[in-house]
Amino acid sequence: MDAPAPAERLHAMDHLRALAMLAGVLFHAALAYSPVMRGFFPTADRQTSGWVDAVVWGLHLVRMPLFFFLAGFFAAWVIERRGGTALARQRVRRILVPFVVAWPLVEGSLAASTRWAALNVEHPSALLVAAREWMQRPDRPPLPPTTAHLWFLYYLLLLGVLHWAVRALEWGRGGPWLTSRSPQWLLLGLPLLLTPALASVSAPHPAPEGLLPQFWAIGFYGAFYALGALVHARRDWLERARPLAPWLTAGSATLYAVFLTGLAAAPPSAGNTTASWGLAAVEACLSVWLTVLCLLVGLRLLNRPSPGLRYLSQAAYWTYLVHLPLLFALQYALMDRGWPWPLKLALAVGATLVGSLLTYQLLVRHTPLRRFVG
Amino acid sequence: MRLNTAVIRLLIAKDWQLFQKPLAVCVLAGVVALCFLGLAEPWAFYVGSLLLLIVLISSACFSISTSLVVERKEHTLAFVMSLPVSPLDFTVSKLIGSLLTFGVPFGLMLGGALALVLYTPLPDGLFVYTLLIFGWLLFAYAVSLAVAMSVESEGWATFVMIGSMVLINPYIMGLSQVPVIADRISVDALVWTAPAVGILTTLVVLALVVLGVTTWHHARKPAFY
Repeated sequence: MDAPAPAERLHAMDHLRALAMLAGVLFHAALAYSPVMRGFFPTADRQTSGWVDAVVWGLHLVRMPLFFFLAGFFAAWVIERRGGTALARQRVRRILVPFVVAWPLVEGSLAASTRWAALNVEHPSALLVAAREWMQRPDRPPLPPTTAHLWFLYYLLLLGVLHWAVRALEWGRGGPWLTSRSPQWLLLGLPLLLTPALASVSAPHPAPEGLLPQFWAIGFYGAFYALGALVHARRDWLERARPLAPWLTAGSATLYAVFLTGLAAAPPSAGNTTASWGLAAVEACLSVWLTVLCLLVGLRLLNRPSPGLRYLSQAAYWTYLVHLPLLFALQYALMDRGWPWPLKLALAVGATLVGSLLTYQLLVRHTPLRRFVG
Repeated sequence: MRLNTAVIRLLIAKDWQLFQKPLAVCVLAGVVALCFLGLAEPWAFYVGSLLLLIVLISSACFSISTSLVVERKEHTLAFVMSLPVSPLDFTVSKLIGSLLTFGVPFGLMLGGALALVLYTPLPDGLFVYTLLIFGWLLFAYAVSLAVAMSVESEGWATFVMIGSMVLINPYIMGLSQVPVIADRISVDALVWTAPAVGILTTLVVLALVVLGVTTWHHARKPAFY
């Protein structure tokens, strides 16, 4: 979340971070047409396609791990150049304040659009049907609040605090040793560490939206954050991993096929709340290898100034904050339309991006808000 | 008498710096405790609550021992006396420094625990009970701090610190003997009862009185000893 000064811009990392955040718009929009998510997603459409599952779960396995890797990388970058106090100030300004302000607005708007959809949509999703039944109960219990898609801000804050604690206790000494070894160690060892975390939740892993921190989420995303911070200190680690790229590509392709087969055989359900150890290990390998592959591709292709990507990287944070209420409202409105799902998906993504970028241009880019979410 | 605020600020910053490592341990343990609570299992709730209590008591003890007991042991006071500070400056810096090092984790954990009760499926009746527990810890901390500031003996300071914190056990048992408090813990409604308000008010007032009297006593001292 902490952008480097323009003169020292790390183009590849900056552009990758923007793309990871913008991929979230596509991911959340596509979930409406995923057969796996049909019973769990409020905007789940009547039409679903296996093609959606074939794409979105790969995106899911790499999108947020990559984002947390970059968050750790940039946190270490800020500490090196400006110190821990500067990082703490930035975290307050760029994460805590936007989180506290945006959270009730996002919660309120999502609740309002869902309430409208539950009462008005003629072809509701299973979740909307449940919401409608819940709304008709006279003694309905209040629903516990969630952080919605802003959970990443909550975990960034938490990981920032843990980062400070680890530095204060000087526990990070083993890190440089790890990154000085052959990259194979981390590429094979990290999935082993992540497997228990992923085996404790369903596959594909859910968003940790609750108000209480989750062990698995801290372990999983924290590992990528830590890897990012360590790689910042040994930038050559990624270059040393480059010769392994063909192996990582082949391994990822094979394991992704295994993952999709496993998902089809045992989709998440109310009675299937934890992944098997085998599937969790596959998920762990995929998330680590795909993240490293994305970084290698990014360093090769995106490590140069680009006005378009620069604009997107500046708008990405705001876009991510506001996209879900916009997207849900649009998708609720599209649910009763009989149009083909690719058209609905394209419309929802396009309109959400246009709406987000327009509001960024009008409300953020040239106003004091850019210091917080620009 | 005018306070030397510049030096007081430096002395507080020193205490805060020295408290970083204990605070980091408390923060890590606090996050682990919250994660246990997040497992939403009865056993995990018990482990998480117990761990939170341990973290809170540890932070109180670390706060006092870092800023007062260890300082005395390592003869830092002799160095401080060489600075342009009066006994009142020193007392104020110790008081604020200790309240800061204790107050930050205390405030965070109190806020977190109350938010947890209000915004999760836990019964809202726990809200008042949580405040009563934290109220005792505040009172025990105030007594421990007052004694540590007033006596030279490390043994007595440690004794009062441990004693006052351990007394939370009979205090909790005592609360469970008050039906209007105990019966409302598992109820999903926030109800203030006269005994709960009375106990909480007494604890907070006593804590403030203890700290006030200690400050007043030290402010009147013409010399450090």
